Amino acid sequence: MDFLFSYLALAAIYVMLGLSTNLLVGIVGIFSVSQAAVFGVGAYIVAHFLMATEPLAFLPALAIAMVCCITLNILVTLPSLRVSGDYFVVTSFGIQLLATAVFTNWTAGTGGANGLPGIPPPDVFGYQLDSTFQLMALCLCGLLLACGCFWLIMRAPFGRLLRAIREDELAVAAAGKNVLRAKVSAAALAGAFAGMAGGMYATFLSFIDPSSFDLDASILLLTMVVVGGARTLAGSIVGPFLLLAMPQALSMLDIPTTIAAAARQLIYGFLLIAFMLFRPQGLVGERL
Amino acid sequence: MLPVQLLINGLVTGCALGVVAVSFSLIYATTKIFHVAHAGVYTMAGYVAWWLVSRGAPEIVALLVAIAACALLGALIQGGLYAQLAKRRATHLVVLIASLGMLAVIQNIIAAVFTPNILQFAVPWAEHVVSLDTIRVTYTQLLTVVVSLAAYAGVMWFAHHTILGKRIRAVAANPFLAEITRLRPNAVYIYVVAIASAIVALPGVLVPLDLGLQPYGGITPLLTATIAMIAGGVGSISGAFMLSVAIAVLQNLSLLVIPGEWSIGITFFIFVIFMLFRPTGLFAAAR
Amino acid sequence: MTAYLQAAGLDHRFGGLHALRACSFDIEQGRITCLVGPNGAGKTTIFNAITGFLRPDEGHVTFRGRSLDGLRPQAIVHAGIARTFQNLRLFTELSALDNVMVALPRQFAEEPLGAIFRPLHARRSQTRRREDALRTLDHVGLADRARETVRNLSYGEQKLLSVARVLATGAELLLLDEPASGLSASALDAVMALLRRLQAEGKTLLVVEHNTRVVQQIADEVLFLHQGHLMARGSPQQIIADPALAEIYFGGAI
Repeated sequence: MDFLFSYLALAAIYVMLGLSTNLLVGIVGIFSVSQAAVFGVGAYIVAHFLMATEPLAFLPALAIAMVCCITLNILVTLPSLRVSGDYFVVTSFGIQLLATAVFTNWTAGTGGANGLPGIPPPDVFGYQLDSTFQLMALCLCGLLLACGCFWLIMRAPFGRLLRAIREDELAVAAAGKNVLRAKVSAAALAGAFAGMAGGMYATFLSFIDPSSFDLDASILLLTMVVVGGARTLAGSIVGPFLLLAMPQALSMLDIPTTIAAAARQLIYGFLLIAFMLFRPQGLVGERL
Repeated sequence: MLPVQLLINGLVTGCALGVVAVSFSLIYATTKIFHVAHAGVYTMAGYVAWWLVSRGAPEIVALLVAIAACALLGALIQGGLYAQLAKRRATHLVVLIASLGMLAVIQNIIAAVFTPNILQFAVPWAEHVVSLDTIRVTYTQLLTVVVSLAAYAGVMWFAHHTILGKRIRAVAANPFLAEITRLRPNAVYIYVVAIASAIVALPGVLVPLDLGLQPYGGITPLLTATIAMIAGGVGSISGAFMLSVAIAVLQNLSLLVIPGEWSIGITFFIFVIFMLFRPTGLFAAAR
Repeated sequence: MTAYLQAAGLDHRFGGLHALRACSFDIEQGRITCLVGPNGAGKTTIFNAITGFLRPDEGHVTFRGRSLDGLRPQAIVHAGIARTFQNLRLFTELSALDNVMVALPRQFAEEPLGAIFRPLHARRSQTRRREDALRTLDHVGLADRARETVRNLSYGEQKLLSVARVLATGAELLLLDEPASGLSASALDAVMALLRRLQAEGKTLLVVEHNTRVVQQIADEVLFLHQGHLMARGSPQQIIADPALAEIYFGGAI
């Protein structure tokens, strides 16, 4: 049963990340390979505050992480709005690689390549959440919150504005709307989701290291959105659930551990190509 | 390390990077595709050469086969992936994601076959050193500079003095017009990507002679090369090459004050400066 | 008295192409002015310059005495000028109603915080604004096509929709780029009737148009543009009857 709870908790976390990536890549249309970096920032910040000499309770730590991730995502997105899309590809790669460099080398803050072990379980309103079931419940709460927000904004005028922007930015500007502000708002929200996911990840796994937040992780997030489907709530849920189940399916094949990671990444790359060629709308989404 | 040594290292790395930048620039200026998978082609070159050398092939044969293999891979990616996506009227974002997927496929096939560990070339003459005072320059470094400059000159000559080169420049300048005047852009695209992939095989083989092979080591040089291309001005081959050298020199000199792991920060910083003050680059081609 | 809309000394080059040459003109309030000229004369470039999509190398634009120089497109819409595009640029995946609603100014929940924290208020406010949008659609004659996706609309209906979209912004000066081109005779009449109706309601229109019949029927004044410069202005009869201008328009160099 514990195994199922773990899977659900992780799936919930990755759905939050899926929503974040979907907002940025699917809805606003920005090519981002730096979502894992923001995820990592959220995780490290929460870990830091939970393990500090005067630790914070979980929710305040999470709030701080989310604010930082919101700010980070805004800063990261702003260049894309001044320069053309391809230049932003460079920026996004740069940010991800820079973040990995920071996570790996700033040993004082992030524990370096060895990571941060021993992150305590979350303390929510005075209750310690110890069991896997309770942790899963926390993650599911976050999931419901994120899904709820996503659903609300997509049916509001904001959602319609974002859809229009994806179709034709110039026409939206000609209609008197501030395109920049809308994109930055969406990026901010994506940052909030990623930060929340990061905080829950840190406390759920109790150990984080740079390898969970590198370029490969960003590629996995993109794959989740591409497979599940862009721009829809359903796509953001289906993608993560399916792709998280994949390592289990793979382990049933006899793949030596030395190349297991490469095999996974190979499949992600293959999925990206296949879906872009043959099914750009993903399983339950809209065309990218 | 002495500043002069760092300068020399920077010049050598810069030349190699310059070839990457020039080859990427050829593709980008013509097809308008941000061909991220180019990093994978670059990586594959080194591994093909390594594999042949480890089987006893002469180095020159290994290099030539690597060049051919890269040309083939490049042509396949353009014809089999990008052209198909264009037929389905894929958006720019879709092509970018597909290119990223291709990069992941190439890198991870290499990692699965050759393991993710760093591999070294068993080429003894490569490490031979020429010393002047306290300055050390390896044969590989000398070879890299010579080959890179030759490649750069070759591309310049090709672009301006051959029919195919001019045809490529025409397509790059106006794809729509090219379409209707029988310049057949699709064929041109395949030529361009094949040629550029062949060219990038040169640093792809030479750089690992010194630094070793690593499956995921292609993205950082590619990133630096694209920044050089942008800072130099898209469409300017010379700009791409010169800025690559400049950035590599700056990166190496910065080692005097900053630890090596942060050199990506320097490159990035340069990019941000350009984006803020001169987004079109220094030598952008007149359109 | 300053003119309603005044363009002074607009000059712009695109690389080697000198698109606008010291172009100056003014528009009177409440009139329908037609901008005519051969292809490449710079008509759309002027639209772009007025509406902030282009920063001219030189020159100034003032509207009701207020300078528009350097303003972004959305700011110019707020100032009271809205434009359509020659290729429409409608939001094809959205319905006609949604296309209009995007353009309604000052809506609640056009940003995430309002949408998330006050969803009920957002719904109520949307219901009210939907009424406004339906009225605008009705005004152009598309009320019964409100729920249709743009893909399912005929070309004539799409043209009417693009006018509806600029109307929704509440702008008083409308720049229409070829509102009548490519239309059947009946659709053409509908569009012309609409433009006259808008004028009667107090809107000022600046219309780029190639169709001489349309120009004759609706224009109060015609500006003839050639090679980026205002060559002539006058009533439709004067401009159309001038043989020199006809030569330029039909036979001369582009």
